[in-house]
Amino acid sequence: MNEVHIGGMRFELDLSKPLYEQVLTQIRSSIAKGEIALGEKIPSVRELAQALKITPNTVMRAYQELERDRLTETRRGQGTFITTNADTVETIRNNLAEEAVQEFFEKMHSIGFTWDDIQQLIRQKGGNPS
Amino acid sequence: MSEIAIRAENIVKRYGQKRALDDFTIHLPQERVVGVLGSNGAGKSTFFRMIAGLIQPDHGTIDVLGRTPGWQTNRDIAYLPDRARWYEGHTVMLALDWAEHLLPGFERQRAESLISFMGLDPEMKVHGMSRGQEARLMLTICMARSVPLLLLDEPFSGIDLLSRERIIEAIIDNLSDNRQTVLISTHEIHESESLFDHVVFMDNGQVLLHGDVEMLRAEQGSMESIYRTLYR
Repeated sequence: MNEVHIGGMRFELDLSKPLYEQVLTQIRSSIAKGEIALGEKIPSVRELAQALKITPNTVMRAYQELERDRLTETRRGQGTFITTNADTVETIRNNLAEEAVQEFFEKMHSIGFTWDDIQQLIRQKGGNPS
Repeated sequence: MSEIAIRAENIVKRYGQKRALDDFTIHLPQERVVGVLGSNGAGKSTFFRMIAGLIQPDHGTIDVLGRTPGWQTNRDIAYLPDRARWYEGHTVMLALDWAEHLLPGFERQRAESLISFMGLDPEMKVHGMSRGQEARLMLTICMARSVPLLLLDEPFSGIDLLSRERIIEAIIDNLSDNRQTVLISTHEIHESESLFDHVVFMDNGQVLLHGDVEMLRAEQGSMESIYRTLYR
């Protein structure tokens, strides 16, 4: 599916994987990266479903999960907003970083790299990705 | 787990020698968008007509929203047939008048806003319409009804891209407003698979595979690739 821009967020959905997880992860990273600011309003379920051409049930499920994590809050008759609590966002950001590091280590270990090899590789790269 | 909207048990329906439905058993969840997928002749339209109470099974049982389909259940079902029939000389507006008098739960205001959303001219004669315009009008009449079950038989086939996009937008809009069970039969899987919560793959009057779309995606990939594997 093509890249879709809406409400400061970017989405790119792959129909071969669960859409709900992709919508959720992509909003979470938009929040972590600061693409949507604290307290900012996010698109309604209808708007996002329309923009992504997906069933509103999928968007609703992702929104419920964000709300459970306290990353968003719904104000009656006004819509859904990103939390104003910077600590919550920082926690989510750290969680995402930890997950990424964990995945990286698992991958490296699975191809036989030791901690020393990994350190050396990171130094060679000079901290530049790709 | 959600409630069951449609329960079909061991249905057989014959047309001459051919079994259009052949020991067909399925339970479909309520308030979900269900894609009924399969090639022409798989039995999709027969299944829809049976849900709408237009035909009866030779064997087996079917219940829809907890009842046997018939004229009593039809006030709860909006059915988009695979072919249109219009009255001679009707315009779009007159077709809406007709629907308002005849169809339970028909909301005139909703119909009129759908007409303009669908880009239809109220004064247009129904007999001069293109297939795309016809499909948009039929869908408008179905979706303007406030009913718990919407049956759309091949809403995307043989119509132009823009009509198809409009129809998909209208379906998404409608779903955002209503808690409705929607069944959509199609063989245009690529354009429509992101709309579905649940799918049924049919072939030769039987169920090949069915389930929650997100679970199927996690286990086997896109509906399009599953379709290719199943019907190869």
